[in-house]
Amino acid sequence: MIKKIVVNPVTRISGFMEIQADVENNRVVDAKTEGLLFRGFEKMLNGRSPFDAVYFTQRICGICSTAHSMASTLALEDAMGVVPSEQGRYLRDILHGCEFLQNHIRHFYQYTIPDFVKLPQDYPLFKAEHNDFRLPKEKNDILVKDYFDSLDLSRSSHEMLAVLGGKAPHNHGVFIGGITTQATTDKIVKIKSILNSIFQFINNRMLPDVYTIAEYYRDYFYIGRGYGNLLSFGCFNGYKNLGTLYVDPLVYVGGKTSEFNPDNITEEIDYAWYKDRQNEDKPFEANPEADMSKPGAYSWVKAPRYNKIPFETGPLARQWLSGDYRNGISTMDRTIARALEARKIALIMNTLLENLVPGVSVQKEYSIPETAVGKGLIDTTRGALGHWLKINSQVISFYQIITPSAWNLSTRSSNGMKGTAEQALIGIPVRDINNPVEIGRTIRSFDPCISCATHIYTGGMHINTIQVVI
Amino acid sequence: MNKNNVSITCPEYNARLNAAASLVDTVKKQIRQGVLRKRNLVWLELTGCSGNIISLLDGSNPDFKYLISQMTHFIYNNSLSASEGQKAMEQLFSVLGSDYILAVEGAVATKNNGLYNIIGRMNGKPITALEAVKTLGEKAAYVIAIGACATHGGVSAARPNPSESVSVQSVLNRKVIKLPGCPCHPDWFMGTLAHILLYGEPELDSRDRPLLFYSTLIHDRCPRRSYFDKGIFAEKLGDKTCMFKLGCRGPVTRIDCPTRKWNQYVNWPIEDDTPCIGCAQFGFPDAMEPFISYDTTREVKK
Repeated sequence: MIKKIVVNPVTRISGFMEIQADVENNRVVDAKTEGLLFRGFEKMLNGRSPFDAVYFTQRICGICSTAHSMASTLALEDAMGVVPSEQGRYLRDILHGCEFLQNHIRHFYQYTIPDFVKLPQDYPLFKAEHNDFRLPKEKNDILVKDYFDSLDLSRSSHEMLAVLGGKAPHNHGVFIGGITTQATTDKIVKIKSILNSIFQFINNRMLPDVYTIAEYYRDYFYIGRGYGNLLSFGCFNGYKNLGTLYVDPLVYVGGKTSEFNPDNITEEIDYAWYKDRQNEDKPFEANPEADMSKPGAYSWVKAPRYNKIPFETGPLARQWLSGDYRNGISTMDRTIARALEARKIALIMNTLLENLVPGVSVQKEYSIPETAVGKGLIDTTRGALGHWLKINSQVISFYQIITPSAWNLSTRSSNGMKGTAEQALIGIPVRDINNPVEIGRTIRSFDPCISCATHIYTGGMHINTIQVVI
Repeated sequence: MNKNNVSITCPEYNARLNAAASLVDTVKKQIRQGVLRKRNLVWLELTGCSGNIISLLDGSNPDFKYLISQMTHFIYNNSLSASEGQKAMEQLFSVLGSDYILAVEGAVATKNNGLYNIIGRMNGKPITALEAVKTLGEKAAYVIAIGACATHGGVSAARPNPSESVSVQSVLNRKVIKLPGCPCHPDWFMGTLAHILLYGEPELDSRDRPLLFYSTLIHDRCPRRSYFDKGIFAEKLGDKTCMFKLGCRGPVTRIDCPTRKWNQYVNWPIEDDTPCIGCAQFGFPDAMEPFISYDTTREVKK
């Protein structure tokens, strides 16, 4: 007999999400992921000043706002024909690096750890429902301490960001040409000092902690694989003098790595509640309107595809494509890769800081073209992020955003292939159907950001009765 | 500084800067002495970016650890709660019937009867943001709207407002303390909460903002004010003079950013050589755009 599990809310993610899973003989046999929030950023952006996209699109997401400032800035530079200086690139990539560290530390400790570590039960916030906690007490105690200690380091990551970015979340620093202000010597050394503390924490606490979890939850190396198709738009790459410090734009399918080509991206809406002139479109062409009565649709999530197939994007994809980590593709590998990437990013930031020339101004007086198009594609904390924009009469006339979480948590496509995370849930064991902790652990390994995906997700209309187990 | 000297209406800005920390110290002492008890706190995330809870985690003295261990019984938050699914919803609504303070970030989506934002399910039924804030808001001892979306709709209600988002106040028939900002600075929340725990409701202006933080225009305390007065204006970002002609909203924005600063107090937008975009003022974002303009013909009104 098939039992339907509904998990809603999926807590410890950014935004609101529901998972529906069919379970037979204690294995997941079907799964759907749904986002439950809609704001409609692409429609809001129409008619606004193109410059305002940098600060406006950051409000898509409170935990990864810098990601959107990067992609919108790149799209504007592409549209305006602005080529940033190398110093400009170093500076804004340092800010981007701060955001990676803030995200990865918070995702591991505040979002992931409560799945595996029993936190003090006298705090209402940490009340645990399941009993699959396997760490011996002395190790559990260490990770509990690090849960609390990590808060100082994730906060410091945003402090570094603010030194050159003004404030965080929602920074003012990333902009066309690089960043707005100058990195003076006192600011550079302040960032270096903070970064050193963060690096020590990652090296001495975070990495041992993730391997402690891996040791006691080895079964998670064997579940949550998904398709194993990996995609990166590249980041910290292609510097004139430094080359590629992390990863170039690459895709990995069937054991082969090849160059990424942005023309191969499409978005499909066959199983999503949208109507358009056709069900598959390139990012610059798609202009879907909501249609909640569409037959066959089961979700509001669109389906981004590359060469018509679904891809995983994020820290594990980058670590794999860069050759840094190739142990495997699974729930646990994804979690380990995120911690390893935090260490890598700290090292890259240090290299960029070493190459800064103090006091350089990279700003100019910019003017908006009458008409232009531009795209900004970059790998960010959660994976491949793209902004596509058109300018007409000096205002934004079109804006398209495809987020990492849209890649990872997409719906089925016209050929029936499930989204990446949906596929990753298939076959996973559920020991206690009233506490399906395995589902949440696997979904969180993708670090879903539904705040980000909200422009393509919407709730609504699924008030159908479901036999709810949880 | 001596806590006894703190006046919540004091215009002297050092007092303002230290007021939040000072109030919290007093709360700590009184809780230890048994004068005060910790109160239940629920932090609801609604239609928005969930950036205010991230900003809260960025706070220091008091920090998040202190908030959950010394000041409150922190009952529920979507980003941080260990429980999930139905049990998380049971935890959230367990405060009904007890004494609790409700903190809300995010606007309230009203389109399709609120179904554009579902925050969980109870017994199979979707719970909308609209339903949750109404249920919890009417019975809370205090309601604090945190960030621009909660206080007036903010970016979630930006034109054409596809989700028909509105402020928390619009759906509640009661007083809502408002802390606008995008995001809200952690000190603005912590100081307000400390005041509630210690003395009750803080002194509010006519739009229910605590005077402790929202009394003075950025323009009146801007370190670049002398350039404005002399008519020396920046022509591009990165310049060190007055950014009024680049679109600075400091002249209409009442908040203490120039003296408080952000993220361990290291910086703020104007010191980062960018205009204030008015994120802590009602009307943000639509009334504050364009954020950045190189059309330097903006006139100073005499």
